[in-house]
Amino acid sequence: MTKRPRRFPESLLALLGIIVLAIAVSPVASDGGRIFLQPGNLTDILRQISIIGIISLGMTFVILTAGIDLSVGSILALATVVVSMGIVRQGHGIAVSILLALGASAAVGVLNGVITATLRMQPFVVTLATMIGVRGLAKWLSSNENIDIGFGHDLAATFAASFSRKAVIIGTYVALAGSFWVLLTRTVFGRYVRAVGDNPKAAEYAGLPIRATKIWVYGLSGLLSGIAGVLYTAENHQGNPNAGVAYELDAIAAVVIGGTRLSGGKGSISGTVIGALFMGILTNLLRLNNVDSNVEMMIKAILIVLAVAAQRERKSK
Amino acid sequence: MKTIALGVACLLACSCGGGKKQFFVAFSQANNAEPYRAAQNALMTKLWGQQPDVRLVISDAQQDNSKQIANVETFLRQKPDLLIVAPNERTAVTDVMRTALDRQLPVICLERDISVPNYTTYIHSDNLEIGRAAGVFIAEYLKKKYGEAKGNVVSIRGLLGVEGEINRDKGAKEVFAQYPGIKIVADPVADWLQDKGKDRMAEVLRAQPRIDVVYGHNDPMAIGAWIAAHDLGVEREMIFVGVDGLGGESGGIKKVMDGVLAATFIYPLCVDKAVEIGNRILHDPSFRPEREYVIPSTMVTKENAAKLYAQQ
Repeated sequence: MTKRPRRFPESLLALLGIIVLAIAVSPVASDGGRIFLQPGNLTDILRQISIIGIISLGMTFVILTAGIDLSVGSILALATVVVSMGIVRQGHGIAVSILLALGASAAVGVLNGVITATLRMQPFVVTLATMIGVRGLAKWLSSNENIDIGFGHDLAATFAASFSRKAVIIGTYVALAGSFWVLLTRTVFGRYVRAVGDNPKAAEYAGLPIRATKIWVYGLSGLLSGIAGVLYTAENHQGNPNAGVAYELDAIAAVVIGGTRLSGGKGSISGTVIGALFMGILTNLLRLNNVDSNVEMMIKAILIVLAVAAQRERKSK
Repeated sequence: MKTIALGVACLLACSCGGGKKQFFVAFSQANNAEPYRAAQNALMTKLWGQQPDVRLVISDAQQDNSKQIANVETFLRQKPDLLIVAPNERTAVTDVMRTALDRQLPVICLERDISVPNYTTYIHSDNLEIGRAAGVFIAEYLKKKYGEAKGNVVSIRGLLGVEGEINRDKGAKEVFAQYPGIKIVADPVADWLQDKGKDRMAEVLRAQPRIDVVYGHNDPMAIGAWIAAHDLGVEREMIFVGVDGLGGESGGIKKVMDGVLAATFIYPLCVDKAVEIGNRILHDPSFRPEREYVIPSTMVTKENAAKLYAQQ
């Protein structure tokens, strides 16, 4: 347990591979430079991965405890509905609406944690239930309608304009990734998270606060999904009760490509960030080249398997 | 366990009230997620709600064929007086709709066709015509801009393989084929979704130096593309055309009024016709509906948007 996670350099190798490939096949702009390397394109990628990236930070902690959180996409949808309804329909201020959204999201996460930890139910089942129930709640609150945020000069438009800026979205992701990296590698709580997933029996005998750790971890996952939801609302100019479908799979993919073990105990935040970057760059390089979208899915599948396989191979040496 | 049983008992008790003859209309909806479907459900609820002797139940197949079959089967057990089905896909529900007909139940097939005409009547619009109309609008715009029909078009496509996607694409391409100067320079797939439309357009804007027209195969994707262009400050260099033209705050008609979309083509909900025909089937035993009703589309531009918006 004292050994530092070894996956980091290996997943970095996969990332470098995809970057080299992206540069090599990038179409060329009129000024002769490669479009992939344009600062605008690179920040496009960062912004596009930020939503899933933020969710996958919480997912990393959950998976490290040998759990899973399927409810993240539904929580994101709930947050988009709460924040947009708060501003557009109920006339709360921006700050109050955001706090309501984050509060609701964290509450769902804590509920996941409490049920998982105290009733000792499988996290897969618990979060599957909240995934369904919270999606229903988001649809019910909004009467299953999108809550539109216009482009005028009202409060909602101000909210969208300020929170959809690249600097804000990417900055939030970077700040959260940094905080969660510190939390995992430099704090007692981080050690508990790993211990709970690595060897639950030993953790129990050592008297670690297993329940509290799990409740915190699911609570944080809910909170991060809520933050992602607020940013999603601004970026897409709408609260959408159907947003975030299958985001849990994208987040899990980022975590796994980053080398975190699905059975818990081993993994890193840096790996997860690399996993999200890998997926973002892959999508970007395929789209910049206008690859047929059916072929795109097949290429993605192959490269994901290769990325994970490359890590295994180096590790076995 | 006891609480659950009690709850179920309450639910059953509540749903079985009433004295005089009530008609039970069952509507199997393909999904509740797309705004178009949500608008159909809302209008269906409103219009049937104006009939005091009709009780409407809507089920959601969640874009899943087997769920839709199960939904219709459950409806058949409840013996409705009228069944309305908005098929998720052509083939899957064909059989179960045959079963409904075999039980002498009137069946309205809404919006999407099925493989064998197992319905009393089929009420729909024409996506191919809408695609052609969009193509003509785009060609006319380019003629005005350049003096001849030439320019670069980006198509943003919905879920591949779906009838609406195929024909909205095909109709426009038929028109473009007459003008060699019109080129489709990119056609990313955004699954009908606004967020994906925005992301895919962000990439297209990097790769394509010149874009004249963005043709989103539905409004949310066209709006998403506009947001991507707006982020780069280039949204005025091109126009955005969508399809669906839903009413309401977040619909496409409002977006034409706001100047986000240059035009959208109303894809009729078909619900008003379905309720009208359904009502006659329920109340007039001698009424024989046509086999098919085609609801025409309307083009929405700056000129008529406000008027159409007020009508919704």
